[in-house]
Amino acid sequence: MENQIVKLRGYKDGLHLIIKPKVSLSEVEAAINKLLNGMNPPLEGTSIHIDLSTSPLTSDDLKDLETHLTDNYNLVVSGVNILDEKDESPILAAPASHNISESFPADSQQEFGNAQIVRQTIRSGQTTSCLTGSVIIYGDVNPGGEVVASGDIIVLGSLRGNAHAGAHGRLSSVIIAMELVPLQLQIGSYVNRPPLGQKPRGYPEIARVGAEDIIIVEEFIKF
Amino acid sequence: MGKVIVITSGKGGVGKTTSTANLGTALAMIGKTVVIIDADVGLRNLDVVMGLESRVVYTSMDVIEKRCDLDKALVKDRRVEDLFLLAASQRNRKDDIKPEQMQDICERLKHDYDYVLVDSPAGIEQGFHNAAAGAEEAIIITTPDVSAIRDADRIIGLLQNQGIEPINLVLNRLSPILVKKGNMISKNDVLDILNIDLLGVVPEDAGVIASTNRGVPLVHNEGSPGADAYMRIARRMTGQRVPIPEMREDNFFSNIMNWFSRNK
Repeated sequence: MENQIVKLRGYKDGLHLIIKPKVSLSEVEAAINKLLNGMNPPLEGTSIHIDLSTSPLTSDDLKDLETHLTDNYNLVVSGVNILDEKDESPILAAPASHNISESFPADSQQEFGNAQIVRQTIRSGQTTSCLTGSVIIYGDVNPGGEVVASGDIIVLGSLRGNAHAGAHGRLSSVIIAMELVPLQLQIGSYVNRPPLGQKPRGYPEIARVGAEDIIIVEEFIKF
Repeated sequence: MGKVIVITSGKGGVGKTTSTANLGTALAMIGKTVVIIDADVGLRNLDVVMGLESRVVYTSMDVIEKRCDLDKALVKDRRVEDLFLLAASQRNRKDDIKPEQMQDICERLKHDYDYVLVDSPAGIEQGFHNAAAGAEEAIIITTPDVSAIRDADRIIGLLQNQGIEPINLVLNRLSPILVKKGNMISKNDVLDILNIDLLGVVPEDAGVIASTNRGVPLVHNEGSPGADAYMRIARRMTGQRVPIPEMREDNFFSNIMNWFSRNK
């Protein structure tokens, strides 16, 4: 795994495309194609950071790479980080030609305004995923069923299965259900599950990432 | 033109074969013409439950491979008029049959019979797909326990994807005493999760084992709780309006308690 030319990783501020040092642009592009084409569900319509170590890529190369990602995969490059080779965590640094956004465009209406509406119950073994925004389900999500969204997840019924909001790393995503008794909840890279034997509470609830980096659940009133 | 109904569950051991045998028999007793098909190739036992084991000469495999006519492969029931069994081959494997071949058999049978009931094997593999291939409706059998319900949910999803509609539910082996004690999932909880129409509830009945071992479907044993439940389900299948009775504990103590509370 360590020898991959490019790899994808989810960090707190979003999805990072990490490029191995000392490889040429054509090699990087070929590796990106292989990685992204092999993904199921496909990664589309999200923003992405590029993490570079001391790579020989010039800023023109970076522009080409960005166009490649945008044109072929509908990805928005939201920032470029230059990594210190010894340090695992990305350090923000600005090459002259790039604007760096601190993180994901927070709660951008345009980016997550689109919602996919599912007019059925998600049963065991079924998966609904929307990697370009939020999902609204006019039904239940049964145990063994799964909903994945890059934005929010709203279940107008009982959520008894698994839900993964902010699948590309957007930690401001929330999960709302009329009855929230899931097997497991995931927001970004955080996972949590209700205590064993949790009974439905009889009112809508919302799950979000709280101050201490854990998923918390509380009564849903309104934003 | 008849109906082809697949009887399935996902999980094994919840009563698919017992239900197929009993519903087939019950429908024939009401005066319908019925064929029951064993789709559990390689592990057949519908013939055993029906007590027709010794009369099976040809199987669906022989029909598919044109060793005999479809009519000739149907085994007539010993007790009821107009009830026939198409047995599964014990020597073959489930993937020796293709869904289209099963579909063809069901298609031919439904021209001549009112009901074609297909007893599906457990699982979601080839055997299940073969059983469901020719069906336009489905009956899901489940028992009130989480693993059976989970599998039933999975199966419902698969059947819906195939466009099978309606899909009705039979809740098998419900014990009212255990529900009352809170040790069993209640009828309403099951319906809440599966969210399909309830065709009937079959109470736990020790008579099932005896009837299976004798090769006489329970419905012949009129008056037993299981037999009555299957008869009611069969009537509902024909479109009659038969209410689903609320189950209550039927023992000496609760009868006395009821009597007291009535006279208060």
